[in-house]
Amino acid sequence: MPAEIATRAAPALAVEGLSYAYPNAGPVTKSMLSPSEGPNMTFALRDVSVTLSAGEFALLAGRSACGKTSLLRAACGLVPHFHGGEIEGSVHVAGLDAIASGPGELAAVVGYVAQDPETQIVSTTVAAEIELPLEMRGDPPASRARAVEEVALALAIPHLLGRTVDTLSGGELQRVALAAALVTRPKLVLLDEPTSQLDPVAGDELIWLLRRLNEEWGVTILLAEHRLERCLAAADRVIAMDSGTIVFDGSPRDFLAWAQRADTALETPAARLFSLAGIEPLPVGVRDARAILRAHEVEPGQGPRDGGPPAETCEPARSAPSPSAERGFRTGDPRPSAPTTAAEVQNLWVELRQGDEPHDVLKGIDLRIERGETVALMGRNGAGKSTLLRTLAGLAKPVRGKIKVSGEMALLTQNPSDYLVRERVGDELPGDGGLVALRVVGLEHAIDSDPRDLSGGERQRLALAIALAGRMDGDEMPYLVALDEPTRGMDRARRNDLVDLIEGLAARGAGVVVATHDVEFASVFAERVVLLGAGVVIADGSAAEVLSGGWYFATEVARILDLPGTITPEQGAACLGWEQPR
Amino acid sequence: MRSPFAYTPRPGPLQAASPGAAAAYLGALVAVAFLYSNPLVLAAVGVAAALAGYSAGAGAAVRVALRMGLTLALLIVAVNALVVSRGDTVLLRLGEVPPLGQVDITAEALGAGAVIGLRAAVAMLVFAVYSACVDPDRVLRALRPLAGRSALTASLISRLVPVAVADAARLRDAARLRGPAAAPLGRAALLRRLMAGSLDRAVDVAATLELRGYALTRLDAARGGGPGHVRMRFKNLPQNLRARLAAPDTLRGAASSVGQMALPFGLPASYPRSVRHSPVAHAGSKSRYDGRFYCVGAAVLIAAIAGMILGADSFHAYPAIEIGLGAGTVALSALIVLAGFAPRRRDAR
Repeated sequence: MPAEIATRAAPALAVEGLSYAYPNAGPVTKSMLSPSEGPNMTFALRDVSVTLSAGEFALLAGRSACGKTSLLRAACGLVPHFHGGEIEGSVHVAGLDAIASGPGELAAVVGYVAQDPETQIVSTTVAAEIELPLEMRGDPPASRARAVEEVALALAIPHLLGRTVDTLSGGELQRVALAAALVTRPKLVLLDEPTSQLDPVAGDELIWLLRRLNEEWGVTILLAEHRLERCLAAADRVIAMDSGTIVFDGSPRDFLAWAQRADTALETPAARLFSLAGIEPLPVGVRDARAILRAHEVEPGQGPRDGGPPAETCEPARSAPSPSAERGFRTGDPRPSAPTTAAEVQNLWVELRQGDEPHDVLKGIDLRIERGETVALMGRNGAGKSTLLRTLAGLAKPVRGKIKVSGEMALLTQNPSDYLVRERVGDELPGDGGLVALRVVGLEHAIDSDPRDLSGGERQRLALAIALAGRMDGDEMPYLVALDEPTRGMDRARRNDLVDLIEGLAARGAGVVVATHDVEFASVFAERVVLLGAGVVIADGSAAEVLSGGWYFATEVARILDLPGTITPEQGAACLGWEQPR
Repeated sequence: MRSPFAYTPRPGPLQAASPGAAAAYLGALVAVAFLYSNPLVLAAVGVAAALAGYSAGAGAAVRVALRMGLTLALLIVAVNALVVSRGDTVLLRLGEVPPLGQVDITAEALGAGAVIGLRAAVAMLVFAVYSACVDPDRVLRALRPLAGRSALTASLISRLVPVAVADAARLRDAARLRGPAAAPLGRAALLRRLMAGSLDRAVDVAATLELRGYALTRLDAARGGGPGHVRMRFKNLPQNLRARLAAPDTLRGAASSVGQMALPFGLPASYPRSVRHSPVAHAGSKSRYDGRFYCVGAAVLIAAIAGMILGADSFHAYPAIEIGLGAGTVALSALIVLAGFAPRRRDAR
């Protein structure tokens, strides 16, 4: 059989008995590499076997550090050729041996898109970036020009071709990275949490763009994601990993049933809603959920026809106590003598230079945040969320308007690693003030650790402690604590830890403002949601009100039930009348 | 914030020209600046560069380069005046100034310093226009077949410099946001953190370059056996980098690591041979404006050389300032100023 035909006939990805340890994972012996050794945390991958047929759209699920990224790296040749380490087993991509071939050779059959688009752009202009893999392959200019044009049209980015990459938004950059991965017409495309830095609009667009490419071009997709509710409906198959092994491989619906039993942190909100309400089967997306509800004679937007309360009886959900109060975290209020307002801005205008010209990023914002209040600041990329937080913290200067922060303010920016400079936690936070801050974030036990040895969530807590240190009056928090996109790349278990931390801060009297794209996260921690659009406040109200009143900035439950004020699975299940929230 | 010197695609002839044509044109202006000491000619080169920048839409780059260049020029004038006491026209006697000794400020030293400063400012101006108007991707593409390893280094630097600038801005912000009880940050700690972050970024960019096909497999010798169910040990590039960062001699380690990073990608192993030998690989980089820039560049250079032969570069600072302002010098200066209009679009006139 000719090689080309053999390549076409081969599975897009065939992994067999793959075990892998990174070079810094400690000494590894032959016996330790044996799959029969059982769980061993030195391994990123342990005895992984999986085959993807051509044209499949597979979703790779699992908690942080479960081995998703390592599997993707093995499929594109970065593991072991770039990262080193010890490896056993075989990986074949479209018939090519990925362990014998390097990433350069594999680039002809596999494309890889990483989490952070900033780190995967190497050229100055968009056209050059997309063209680079073809140039490296030695394609003639005419062929390159056609391929660039076609992939740009497929991804709806021809208008970006003439721009420089430093003028693009995160969503645009991610599309350019995807274009560079697709331009060689690979058989397999690997994506590692590509939506983690995108707003809900751009994230949804990217997932459905992948589905369209999968259907029209026949590209096999292997997508690692934490926000399963966003992409489960687009997938043909789900592969779940835990501690470097594959623990589930099947259809999305079967996956939900498995997650319900094995790991509820992997449940989608829709599945949780149905599970609480006792409805079968579990839905893989909004459309599926609505169809199942109709089959159960429940019309979305109207509540159940029989056997449950009408929609108006969901009224208590709209004025339900805040999630923090439900969980009993609000143990005390600020001192009566202290101001109750944490921060206030009036008619705030901020101008930033974007490209050659200055632009108004914030346009007459009026906002007041009370102490003890938890506020989610939402909006698409570029809406002005980060700029508002930076202006409150004094990092950006307003051109007009008033800002009043009643007391101290702590801001944790998008990259917690920027705060970590020294090689010992105690050196970052010396003295009693530092110890108090460490205690607040629950890291006093790690005082002698190297920050680089902490988990992602612990590093984030440490960075927050650095921002808080010296800004507390005894156990009392600063008036305002702000976090900018703290859930990037976080699994749900870590997000729940963060919710607990935020609620703890609010309970001690801090007004907490969190800029986030994650509507499900906002629905859990926030009492109030402020929605920004192009520098102006376009909605400001209770989380239940704002997160149930739209499509993109609405929770999955809100999109399914379309009942005002119903945003969480617990509220939804109560509205459906089948089960009360816990 | 974007640097004014960063390349911005615009629909102008200078941006459309091939890197060779743009380099020939702007290189001719720089060459004149280094060939001549006559202030009139140097000023003409400066005017031509400024006109070229404005014509090409790079006004911001011209303004910033002028500010920086004139500041540098003033510094040079001051230093030259202090360290050189030659010249007939003493303007100020400062007496004994340790460690310079007897210092006399002379008009001639000021003039000589001004010429050196003007030359530096003009060179900065031309490079600013080049940086803002010539697509670095096209330059690198032109360089790759000739010097693959240098092109790779340039690729990494051209990507990592703006990233490092952005990282530095973020780190400065994070330093400002540290609580008063957190350990204060010195510049050395910040620099070390920036270096560590930049090298991590470099590893990411290097990985992307590998995925784009810059490198072919190179570890056959390192493998313990053939493919299949056998255990194999691979060298690890990123860990080497991080190990070096952990060492106290960070700078030496970093330099060494960057060197190591470049090695695996260099010619001849990594660069696709088909590109190196393809006669049509760079046909797409030509432009209809190339002829204009080659001609103007050649005209400027020929006129400058002819002018030198005919004595148009008459300038002497010592013992007394003598500036030749003959017809040849004026004509050459006028020609150079006219050359500044080369990047203008014809339909815009």
